[in-house]
Amino acid sequence: MAVFQHDVLIIGAGLAGMRAGLAAQAEGVDVAIISKVHPVRSHSNAAQGGINAAVDVDDTWEDHAYDTVKGSDYLGDQDAIEVLCSEAGGEVITMEHMGVIFHRDETGHLGSRAFGGQQRARTYFVGDITGQALLHVMYEQLIKHGLRIYEEWFVLDLIVEDGMSKGAVAMDIRTGQVHVIAAKTVIVATGGAGRVYEPSTNALICTGDGIAQAYRAGALCMDMEMVQFHPTTLKGSGVLITEGARGEGAYLLNGAGERFMEKYAPNMMELASRDVVSRAEQTEINEGRGVDGCVFLDMRHLGMDVIRERLWQIREIGIDFAGVDIVTDPIPILPGMHYIMGGIKTDVWGRTNIPGLYAAGETACVSVHGANRLGANSLLDTIVFGKRSGMDAAVRVRTENITLPSDDRYAQAAEKKLAAILAKPMTEDRIAHVRMEMGRTMNTKVQVFRQEDEIKSALDDIKALKKRYETVGVESKGKVFNTDLLFNVELGYMLDVAEMVCVSAIERKESRGAHTRLDFPTRDDANWLHHITCSYSASGPQLGKAPVTITQWEPEERKY
Amino acid sequence: MRYAFWPGCVSKGAAPELYQSMVRVAPELGIELEELYDGNCTGAGVISEHSMETADALNARNFAMAQRMELPLINICSTCQGVQSLAQDRMRKRPELAAQVNASLADEGLFYDAEKGLEVKNFLWVLVEDLGLDKLKSMVKKPLTGLKVGPFYGCYILRPENILGMDEHNERDHYLEYVIEALGCTLITYEGQDKCCGFPILTINKKNSLTMAANHLSSAQEEGADCLVTPCPLCHLNLDAQQPDAAKYASVNGLEVPILHLPQLIGLALGMDPKELRVDRHVVSTRKVLANL
Amino acid sequence: MQVNLKVRRYDPETPETEPSYRNYSVEMPENATVLDTLIEVREYHDGTLSLRCSCRSAICGSCAMRINGKARLACKTQVGSLVKDGGEIVVEPAGNLPVIKDLVVDMAPFWSKVRAVDPWLKTDGPPPEREYVVPNESMAALGEVMNCIMCGACVSDCTVLEVDQSFLGPAALAKAFRFVGDPRDDAQNGRLRAYSQPSGMWDCTRCNYCVEVCPKDVKPMEQIMKLRSEAVHAGIKNNNGSRHTLSFVDLVDTNGRLDEFRLPVFTEGKFNLIGQLSYLPSAPRMLRAGKMPPIFPHKIPGVKHVKRIFKYFEQNRTKAGEGSLH
Repeated sequence: MAVFQHDVLIIGAGLAGMRAGLAAQAEGVDVAIISKVHPVRSHSNAAQGGINAAVDVDDTWEDHAYDTVKGSDYLGDQDAIEVLCSEAGGEVITMEHMGVIFHRDETGHLGSRAFGGQQRARTYFVGDITGQALLHVMYEQLIKHGLRIYEEWFVLDLIVEDGMSKGAVAMDIRTGQVHVIAAKTVIVATGGAGRVYEPSTNALICTGDGIAQAYRAGALCMDMEMVQFHPTTLKGSGVLITEGARGEGAYLLNGAGERFMEKYAPNMMELASRDVVSRAEQTEINEGRGVDGCVFLDMRHLGMDVIRERLWQIREIGIDFAGVDIVTDPIPILPGMHYIMGGIKTDVWGRTNIPGLYAAGETACVSVHGANRLGANSLLDTIVFGKRSGMDAAVRVRTENITLPSDDRYAQAAEKKLAAILAKPMTEDRIAHVRMEMGRTMNTKVQVFRQEDEIKSALDDIKALKKRYETVGVESKGKVFNTDLLFNVELGYMLDVAEMVCVSAIERKESRGAHTRLDFPTRDDANWLHHITCSYSASGPQLGKAPVTITQWEPEERKY
Repeated sequence: MRYAFWPGCVSKGAAPELYQSMVRVAPELGIELEELYDGNCTGAGVISEHSMETADALNARNFAMAQRMELPLINICSTCQGVQSLAQDRMRKRPELAAQVNASLADEGLFYDAEKGLEVKNFLWVLVEDLGLDKLKSMVKKPLTGLKVGPFYGCYILRPENILGMDEHNERDHYLEYVIEALGCTLITYEGQDKCCGFPILTINKKNSLTMAANHLSSAQEEGADCLVTPCPLCHLNLDAQQPDAAKYASVNGLEVPILHLPQLIGLALGMDPKELRVDRHVVSTRKVLANL
Repeated sequence: MQVNLKVRRYDPETPETEPSYRNYSVEMPENATVLDTLIEVREYHDGTLSLRCSCRSAICGSCAMRINGKARLACKTQVGSLVKDGGEIVVEPAGNLPVIKDLVVDMAPFWSKVRAVDPWLKTDGPPPEREYVVPNESMAALGEVMNCIMCGACVSDCTVLEVDQSFLGPAALAKAFRFVGDPRDDAQNGRLRAYSQPSGMWDCTRCNYCVEVCPKDVKPMEQIMKLRSEAVHAGIKNNNGSRHTLSFVDLVDTNGRLDEFRLPVFTEGKFNLIGQLSYLPSAPRMLRAGKMPPIFPHKIPGVKHVKRIFKYFEQNRTKAGEGSLH
């Protein structure tokens, strides 16, 4: 078991992680990134529609900020949103300078498309593969700058010593060897926790690892009840159809062929905020105007030219995964779990409540998205706060005197835990059974429309599943690429996240943004204009409160 | 069945036995060939490396001539087929390219109607689709029973599938096997029959080129093939003319696999005189093949 | 429907270190993919099976593997399209790369070749205050190559890599074109020179395997063709590949058809006697078989029309990637 040492250790090589790495390295400190998959396999590649920024001469970041604040249903922290939106323009230009092949208008300048919840078009894109395009360019930069990556290493634990974050314990997946990677600062950028739900748009790797690890290490998590259901996902697989389709003019139709958004958001129609659209769809479906539990996304009128240039991947997805050609037929979709607005609580520099521990990207909750995230703000979030975390982590390295652990006792402890898991006997109950039940419970009882008894029932289910998890065995006993063992560890992370989601969802007795309580159907600023936090205890998440920072925009009624 | 006939450059150069056997075999099958004496090289994928549009236009010139003759176009080379299919596909999908191409042909008074297109078929496809395997079988005078034959297709008649009409004719990647069996031969399948002979890189990386040829030839020999048959003279060159040099990269000792052109195999099954088919004009002797008949 | 898989297994830790196959038979829904089936196997039947997969929607590139002998993304391959009535589907790891375990291959050689082409934008001087101004066509023209998800399917089935592991390969070369074709990149000549080295762009045998197996329609071979076109037009001629292309063009321009006698001679270089002499040993056997191409090639009657075509497109040439006719 070796002990490696670095100044800044970044967990996760998605957009946030890589951006943080570049920013930290630019400050002259020693950086390493660790990722359980190769960087370009990170889930950032699945973002399709675009990245928001007030880049146009007649756009202002304040307008973008207002749209974001309103989109968050006033739960977003406005100082953080101001940072996000005021730095957006510069960051998008930086991306372009790095080589991203953004779409251009007729003058050769950056060209934008419309996106949900925003009053003007300010979403910059590359076809319908913006996330992939950004991720690959970021990886190119990583190569250019020679950043060290521990590729296909799986973090098992965060090291917290003397109340400070001092690195992580990780397994080299290829050899099964466990090592300590000591670092003066740690940035957690492990993405979301979509696999807590079944189905989900998320990749199989989105298991909330960093959120759970930080939570167990004593970091506060925040807004965990805020889970976004994307309006246009495929039935069964949960595969995502970008909001960009609606940005290009696609219609949402119910079983009777009506553009039902007229009833729910007469001004912005299909481009209302995601929670509004998901609720509209779910209502149509629940009230019998869907077909097979779906409504339809219609792109026929857009024409082949638009589809070829801007929605080509969507056409492929439709043909490959739904057997539908969007050129000739509407595609059945329904709301599906997509994103978690909640996460590890940070300030505007990515700092958590544990000195030396940072978080950025979907893992973090600054909060810029509050109770509902606008489309194309997530890519922006990863880059702005990835950069800021990297910069601040570097500052901490230069200004603080931090001694690092130099022995491998943390690795030994981790190995013991793994050995204990491997020693459990195989029974009929498998990891997949527990995971599937967790996912289905969450997707049935803590979905678009929620009520207390259902969420409580879900919480009971999760607790029972946690007990079952303690006895579930691992079939594969090898050292080399033992994914079975890793799935077992990931399941533990997911159950912790699920528990936090349930507990927070029970606590918030109002409807706000993506959190819709049928038993408390209105927004209640007087009692609930604050964040709900979770902190770890042996008996489950302990709830707390955190204030919402309001700078320019007083909460008002939210209509689209 | 009448066709405008593009024989390609190689069948008039380093593989004259192909041209000679084709023009003798075709009439026996009821195929009338109207040769494009003024036809030009298709580019073989090489001119595309210089300029894709030039290659498209060169092919359009041949197409325009065939369209003027109101005949489908037949070729005897996998490479010509692939290049021609790609050129057609590109010009059909890009009207502005077709317009440029026609501008370059205008002075000669030629015009290629890209939208209307042209049926361009390799002799192999003509055999299966236009003549028909049953008809072919009925014409066989000397079933080649006992002759173990392996197919070697040539990359350009197999890939990419979507421009080679495989949506409509989805068994084109097995035609050579069907023909071999229709002629009464024993079909030998082996690793590499749909891979690359290495010809395009012969003068660029000789070792790789000959290793590719040697690998496929060795596999065929190990599976017991008496000979291979190919619809591409470039593959023929690398597998036959280069076989003595390729032998040093082979995994078998005593590499000796005669290679037949497709018309030659057909001609033998039709009972024609092997000398007429120029079967004695190969680098690797076909004596063994003839002895087996 | 019942799906029968025959999966190649390999465990470096067990005494028999030779690969073997194992059969799995599982009940799957009608529109299941091969990946769905493999996940079903590993979750409910055999937890020891290792494979890489993540997004399930053909965007992460993790699950490239050989299915029925051809490299594909498992998540994008419908079982129903491969077999009817419970036929067997053979699943093997991607080719041309070392196997770590089961369906997991070592991608290190793949990534080292991608790194070898300097895959980042190289610009001279400070960037502009705002974005570089470039026409949309030039960004759109890179769309094909930007679609690449680095899955390795092309590398798996590349026929040159099968005989020569030093070849840069289709993925790295397609990535190389992404920069050569980008008007903002200032290092084109240096790049083209580097990629024209042995084992670079000229070593592709043009077999179209990579075009055929690419799940994202990147057409790597076509990107290699564009690289070659840029290289010859940039005047990088001191290699056989370039000379071969230029001589071919020259000879067809002169005669309307290919002069096979002169082509290999010119390819080696008009003054490269040693190179030309290397063809001498093969001359006798060609002569014996009557296969020596004519020393005085036949010019087609309409050769002047062929010349006109060449001239037309030389004059109207647009750089690859700048709204060209590609």
